[in-house]
Amino acid sequence: MTLQRADLAPLSEYAIETHGLTKKFGSFTAVDHVDLAVRRGEIYGFLGPNGAGKSTVIRMLCTLLIPTEGTARVDGYDVVYHAGEVRERIGLVSEKMIMYPRLTALENLMFFGSLYGIDRAALRRKSEELLEMVKLTPFKDKLVGGFSSGMRQRVNVIRAVLHDPDILFLDEPTTGLDPQSTRFVRDLVKDLKQRGHTIVLTTHIMEEADELSDRICIIDHGKVMTIDTPQALKDKYKTNSLLDIFLELTGRELRDSANAHISLRSPMGRT
Amino acid sequence: MAKASAWAVAVGIARRDLLDLWRAKMLLFFFILMPLLLMTMFGFIYPPVPKSNPSTGNIGTAFSNLPVALVQMDDGQTANSVAAQFIQISAQQGLFKISEIASYPAARDQIVEGNIKGIIIIPQSFSDAIAAGQPATIQVTVDETNPTIASVVQSEISAVFGIIGSDMSTQSINNISGGKVNPAFIIQPISITKIPLITGVSSSFQFLAPGFMALTVITGSLQGVASAISREREQGTMDGLLASPIPHVSIILGKVAAQTVRGLIQGFLILGLSMLLFGVQIYGSPIIMFIVMVLGTASFVGVGIIMTAVAPDQETAQMMTMLLQFPMMFISGILFPIDQLPGWLQYIGKALPLYYAADALRKVIILNASLAAIMPDVLILIVYTFLTMTVAIPLFDKAMRR
Repeated sequence: MTLQRADLAPLSEYAIETHGLTKKFGSFTAVDHVDLAVRRGEIYGFLGPNGAGKSTVIRMLCTLLIPTEGTARVDGYDVVYHAGEVRERIGLVSEKMIMYPRLTALENLMFFGSLYGIDRAALRRKSEELLEMVKLTPFKDKLVGGFSSGMRQRVNVIRAVLHDPDILFLDEPTTGLDPQSTRFVRDLVKDLKQRGHTIVLTTHIMEEADELSDRICIIDHGKVMTIDTPQALKDKYKTNSLLDIFLELTGRELRDSANAHISLRSPMGRT
Repeated sequence: MAKASAWAVAVGIARRDLLDLWRAKMLLFFFILMPLLLMTMFGFIYPPVPKSNPSTGNIGTAFSNLPVALVQMDDGQTANSVAAQFIQISAQQGLFKISEIASYPAARDQIVEGNIKGIIIIPQSFSDAIAAGQPATIQVTVDETNPTIASVVQSEISAVFGIIGSDMSTQSINNISGGKVNPAFIIQPISITKIPLITGVSSSFQFLAPGFMALTVITGSLQGVASAISREREQGTMDGLLASPIPHVSIILGKVAAQTVRGLIQGFLILGLSMLLFGVQIYGSPIIMFIVMVLGTASFVGVGIIMTAVAPDQETAQMMTMLLQFPMMFISGILFPIDQLPGWLQYIGKALPLYYAADALRKVIILNASLAAIMPDVLILIVYTFLTMTVAIPLFDKAMRR
């Protein structure tokens, strides 16, 4: 099926809108007709078991993957036909750290910031201000390769907001972090929301989703299972545990499957 | 928001790549060591050969004091005198280290054991034949398990006996003519004198060095681009580049620029070392050399990108570049003349840009060729660059968003 050319939408109340968004890898359907509507300024918890299709959706929204079917608009711009405009408006924290280990924290920020055409002096000011915010000023001239995973993730998150993106994608930002760093990153996410960023957050930690999200979307097998506020979900399923709701919707069996399609970007890939 | 210019971004990406190499000290060490080692090896495989000079009886050789055995089966006076002359000339010019062995089988055993490289047999009838005014024969066996040494030993033995033979002829002619004719006119009425293509070039390595330089630079950048892109993909940083509003061609240009700089550094290291150690000289313009090297690199980068786009991971990309790189050494006229190859292999060799880059570089460095003289090579490299890039850029775009 061919993609219909999407018109430039007027600014809508939605930061992200998808209609029938689908991605197939060969015969495997990773994302199956997903309709999403993320409101401006909200934290949108995007949950699902491993292989449910979360990262694939995010990669399509970030213009890193071309949808097989359906449309997606980010800040009103079509991800296929106006990829350039979309890219100017988004920030991405993906499963893998987007950082060069042999550059210092400041150099990494300066490098990635320069891709957005920010004037050098302003970029430097902004980088130092953000480093101060994540308490890494004393380490700004140290190579990122020597950082702990918590420190790296703090740099990785501020790297994604250097250019003040309207929309921020955080793909499992607290995975593998110690409790202190987890707390810090969660507070950082709240802080970023305060600053007006719309945030799409994926996580496997239900308490995190519960604490941070304004609304939650649970997907499985590439399909949307439910979308609602955490409280409404709890009321509906008459439980206080988001984990129970999650298991109720996605089943309790383990997700062991082996696809012939091996993604280079899967966290299993060699680094 | 101001847009970053495609060029500025490409320069930024190139700078970062080079900074990365500079900071990876061990990688940097091997990056420098590799061409140095390669060049030293090649330099010693093709050592400078002093010139032979037939008029002074000087025999040029790359090898000295090769061990050979002399088996003398004739006790006659002439045989003894010829043997003595052979030993004397060999010793004078440092050609052979001669041991006298009583029988041929014993000498042959010495070859098998690897102690000697050749056997010179003066057969029983030698003195008698000369006395009777008949041409006499010397028999030679060489260690054919090493073709290079074997051919050197054989030709040097011939050269030495050539000198001894001419002396004998001179004597005979003088005896017959009573000094009325110039013996040289009868022995060799026509002689050949070589006017070197480039005066003062004594090293055959001079002709090989430009090819090695092209080979190292080009294969280095081919592999470099392929592994740089696939590494960034696996490491995740490529997502950071692709999700930002920069044109993808900037990523390619940046990677290419970084690899070209790396290639040039290695190329000039090689050149410097060959000048220092092996007396290679540059006769041409460094600017034209630079142009050829940049074009040579550019012509291969597209191929590198295509391979990266097709390969699922870094390891596969590396294997693919190796597969291209290895045969290229042999079929692009760098180690062996391309004319030596069967026709179909020549076509493959000539379909690869390395052949033209090496050819142009050789002409510039050795023959001081002008840009006009190497224009066919240059044009082919430019066309190659454009063609491969035309395929590579959209393919890269597509592959990165698979």
